[in-house]
Amino acid sequence: MSELVLQALYSGLLVGGVYALIALGLALTFGTMRVINLAHGELVLLAAYMAYMVESRLQLNPVFAVPLAVLVACTCSALVYLLVDRIRKNRELNSLMLTFAIGIVITNAVLLIFSGDVRSTGSPFMQDAVQLGPLFSMKSELGAFIISLVLVFALWQWLSRSWYGRAVRAVSSNRDAAKLMGINPARTELISFIVAGALAACAGVALYSSSVVHPALGHALTVKAFIITVLAGVGSVPGVLAAALLLGVTEAMTVTLWSSALQELVGMTLFLVVLLVLPNGLFGTARRRG
Amino acid sequence: MNAMRRTAFALLAVLYVAVPAALGSNNYLMGLVVSSLIVAGVAVAWALLGNLGGMVSFGHAAFFGVGGYASALLTMKLGIPVLLAIPLAGLVAVLFSVAMLPALRLSGPYFALAILAYAQIFRILATEMEFLTHGSGGISQIPVLPTIAGFDLSSRTGQFLLLLTLLAAFLAAYDAIRRSHYGIALRAMHDSEDATRVVGVNSVLLKSWMLFVSAFMTGVIGAVNAHVINFLEPDYAFSGIWSVLPIVAAIFGGYRTVTGPAIGAVVIYLVDQLVFKALVSTGHQIILGSVLALMILFAPDGLLPLLRNALRRMRGASHA
Repeated sequence: MSELVLQALYSGLLVGGVYALIALGLALTFGTMRVINLAHGELVLLAAYMAYMVESRLQLNPVFAVPLAVLVACTCSALVYLLVDRIRKNRELNSLMLTFAIGIVITNAVLLIFSGDVRSTGSPFMQDAVQLGPLFSMKSELGAFIISLVLVFALWQWLSRSWYGRAVRAVSSNRDAAKLMGINPARTELISFIVAGALAACAGVALYSSSVVHPALGHALTVKAFIITVLAGVGSVPGVLAAALLLGVTEAMTVTLWSSALQELVGMTLFLVVLLVLPNGLFGTARRRG
Repeated sequence: MNAMRRTAFALLAVLYVAVPAALGSNNYLMGLVVSSLIVAGVAVAWALLGNLGGMVSFGHAAFFGVGGYASALLTMKLGIPVLLAIPLAGLVAVLFSVAMLPALRLSGPYFALAILAYAQIFRILATEMEFLTHGSGGISQIPVLPTIAGFDLSSRTGQFLLLLTLLAAFLAAYDAIRRSHYGIALRAMHDSEDATRVVGVNSVLLKSWMLFVSAFMTGVIGAVNAHVINFLEPDYAFSGIWSVLPIVAAIFGGYRTVTGPAIGAVVIYLVDQLVFKALVSTGHQIILGSVLALMILFAPDGLLPLLRNALRRMRGASHA
């Protein structure tokens, strides 16, 4: 039993790494533009299907799909920004419905082009087992986790050290003051959307390599990313990582100890409890949502 | 205003007679019209919460599913007559919406996604509570609508007349709430909730009432739907489509108007089924998504206000 629990803990952590990557993109755009991009999970989905296309058509390892996936996801993300930016009236809710609509369009476009079948990598290299003491995983799962950690760390450094990273944080904390300091908020927002697209692209390729994808996954990923953002609270990269790992582990534990059907239930309940009881999230700085 | 009300009544009377007379013999088309009225009912309930309560919900499927299951179980397990079970199912949906009250403290997007979470939780519970709901196998042979005074409500025409009556009642209730002093307070809350609270309006209580009314309407429609199609399974009853279609319909028709969502639902649903589905069979929701995106971008107030303005402009031109 304890072996099973340990294994679940391990698998949950590995999945949590990819969740962190997805959630960071959502949190980044939410921070700068105060807009929840409900099409974010669908960007990840698009990237995953680019990996599928490269593998099935060109017979290449899905890793080689990263440039194409980044190009597609960044373009779509920038497009989402340009469309959201056109909204003038009641921006908070209208942008929510607009990105929701874009998500529906992307999901159904994927459904039309690639059909509703469940896809996963066929590469034997990716599916090889790796043993770490008593714990097992696929090579791709461990790889996806490590790459996710590296990217999360890189984003953290970018946000805290680079000029653009600071600009993003400045716009997110006070748009007008940032403008007075000579930052172009529109350009900063666009950059945050492009970076979010790149993160989504890497997450999509990692997800395709280590797990299974199907068109309806996009919406589920958006919801997961939002749950993580709420758990983490606004404004902390390590917080997002911790919340993502927590969600991954909780889901894996539920599947092992309880039932796989209840996996989503636990995530949703965790979400509601944190949302209603701890309005600032588990790690967030004080900020009201009311 | 009186003239408008008279036109509304006249239009309703025409609909009662004309639609069954014109389509009554075509079972397929009549079935589509019945389904479109079901979507219209949910769209009106959604718009009531969105317009008066100022809360956008992504989870009306929660109330729809609860209503359907409640009515099916009340009639089948307790033997309650169908026409009594339908309003009771609405009350059960209200009961479930009580669980959502804490979410009212949340603003905009947080509320929208919290309701989505509730809908998912209800769907999983309906799948898991097999002793009550038969799990993912679903409930079949749900009783049909009864025959009243020799008139068979379970026929397509009967279903149509029942749903049209319900829809008219919903619209009348919506309009009455909007005109009452509660409606004025709700509209004031739109501009500034804080200012409205300062003059002594209990905004949380008012919002709760709107949530209850919206849940009741959606639950009733879900219940009628269960007796119309006679089969329920969790993935159908709590399907995201019951959350998406009403949003598209209400935005399309104009969710700040009373009749816009209902008209939008009928138009969108019929066009979707008759035209879009014929064009693209598997992913026809892509067109719904595009319509929603285009409406938000170019006509966020919906088509009805747009048409009204165009009409006014034309009249102005003829007067000049």
